[in-house]
Amino acid sequence: MMKKINRILGLLLALMLLAGSLAGCAPSQQAKTLTFADVGWDSILFHNAVAGTVAETVFGYQWSEVSGSTPITHEAVKKGEIDVHMEVWTDNLANYKDDIEAGALKEVSINFDDNAQGLYVPRYVIEGDAGRGIEPMAPNLKTVADLKDYASLFKDPEDSSKGIIYGGIAGWAITEIIHKKYLHYGLDANYNYMEPGTDAATSAVLVAAYDRGEPVVAYYWEPTWLLGKYDFVLLEDEPYDPELYFEGKTECPSVRVAVCTSNDFYEKDPEFVAFLSKYRTSSALTSQALAYIEDTGADYKTAARWFLKENRDMVETWLTTEQADKLYAAIE
Amino acid sequence: MNWLFDFPFIIRINTNAIDRAVRSFAADHAAFFDGIKAGLTNFVGAINWLLNHIPWFVLVVLVFFLGWKGHKRLRSGIAYSILLCIIGMLGLWGLMNLTLSIVLAGVTIALLLGLPVGVLLSGSDRANQAARPVLDMMQTMPVFVYLIPAVIFFGMGSASAVIATVIYAMVPVVRLTSLGIRQVDAEVVEAARSFGSTKSQMLFKVQVPQALPTIMAGINQTLMMAMSMVVTCSMIGARGLGNEVLIAVNRIEISRGFMAGSSVVILAILLDRLTQGWFSGRKNAGDEQQ
Repeated sequence: MMKKINRILGLLLALMLLAGSLAGCAPSQQAKTLTFADVGWDSILFHNAVAGTVAETVFGYQWSEVSGSTPITHEAVKKGEIDVHMEVWTDNLANYKDDIEAGALKEVSINFDDNAQGLYVPRYVIEGDAGRGIEPMAPNLKTVADLKDYASLFKDPEDSSKGIIYGGIAGWAITEIIHKKYLHYGLDANYNYMEPGTDAATSAVLVAAYDRGEPVVAYYWEPTWLLGKYDFVLLEDEPYDPELYFEGKTECPSVRVAVCTSNDFYEKDPEFVAFLSKYRTSSALTSQALAYIEDTGADYKTAARWFLKENRDMVETWLTTEQADKLYAAIE
Repeated sequence: MNWLFDFPFIIRINTNAIDRAVRSFAADHAAFFDGIKAGLTNFVGAINWLLNHIPWFVLVVLVFFLGWKGHKRLRSGIAYSILLCIIGMLGLWGLMNLTLSIVLAGVTIALLLGLPVGVLLSGSDRANQAARPVLDMMQTMPVFVYLIPAVIFFGMGSASAVIATVIYAMVPVVRLTSLGIRQVDAEVVEAARSFGSTKSQMLFKVQVPQALPTIMAGINQTLMMAMSMVVTCSMIGARGLGNEVLIAVNRIEISRGFMAGSSVVILAILLDRLTQGWFSGRKNAGDEQQ
């Protein structure tokens, strides 16, 4: 009996040694590691690559991404399992404000806050598309309120008596506001309101409708590859008012898209946090980069290098002169 | 050292071209896909209409009766009807009907396709072997891979949900039908043949009845797998309990998610036990006849 146990122990020890020696063979120098949140859409992957390239070349980090949904990655940053979140869509997290106030994570910068969001229709619905032989279907459709005249155009496949509006993504904070807007304009009389379960589903619906030249109306937002690539029109609404907005009566404001870090990371590397706190782009710049990726088929890292070179003036405001020199020496 | 650990060559596949081909195929045959979509949507709608017109107490009594008779125990009937009442008390009755209509539509189609395929496969070892990798693929291909294409072809909503459910849930009934028939005692088949039974007599009067327990197990598995797709399908617009779970998860509303999730579990348990009880009840009846 004793012998058997000894043998098993010996075997385990041997295995451990083997594992240890293999680990020793792997890249030996202990690089500092940095994890970014990957929430799946492409602009965050692009921003991860930009910040990651800086982290790698200037600060000597090895960076990686952890994927998860919006609330999951938010919780992970709070727990310190993810170091940096480059795009926290603050309006889409019901508990964001409370978490910041409670000090559960640190908001270090606003990545961009000039983006549009709201109900979109393809441009051919309003203006037609001579190239594709599409006649204008709703030439007088300009505002959200106008939608009520066009219910028969945006037909619900599951309920032919009504139209369908694809609203906000299930669970996002904006979803409720879009729903209130739908009630406010009396669209419930002849439209059904659908909350897609994921943003991928909305994208698929929009792309499929666009390919077929069919009318569709859905909540969407910028910057996204989809709105960079396809020609959609944002339906107009009443001018933004902070109070009436929550009742769905005005247009949507831009979302503050923040860069957040975990508390641990904030303490650990003030130098890198200082860089992040100056990190600021814009919706237009991001769309441009996404369009570059779409056009050239480049991966995010290549696109990040392209972006850093293209926008050198801006990037130099993020970094000290010394750091900037190091960055450009490395990526040239 | 990198040459040791990095794979030496990589094929660059033009994924963009494939994507474009799939999408233009979907756009070019829009009428065809719209037809299928309308059919499926109406089917789900009809089942839902039916379920919504069954008064709640009728369903509770039905469950009680099936549980009692199926399991030959009064206890089971009472327990099952109480479970069903819990869903109602949580205020999720309507959502349960929606979920149930998608699951039932998916299972019906899966059985209509799966049973004949299983019977056909049982006839030939070669066909069986050819079908195996296909069945494996249907069962293990991550659902998300075909979820989004389903939306491109069939739009968001119950049609896509039913199709995803059918793909995933069809496999067990095909497998177990084929297995059950092939496992029928060779001597029994021999005996039937020597009495001059035709092929169809052999199939319907000898092989299928003999294989019935295995086939029923397959049907039960198909039902369970369809239930397990409920939350996944809500991502592409299947309304009902799954959608409730998804919203709760996205908002980190733990209790709401737990309530809807428990209802899914209850529904699955009820479907499982009631169908099992019914099958074994029938089996016993068959035994008595003999």
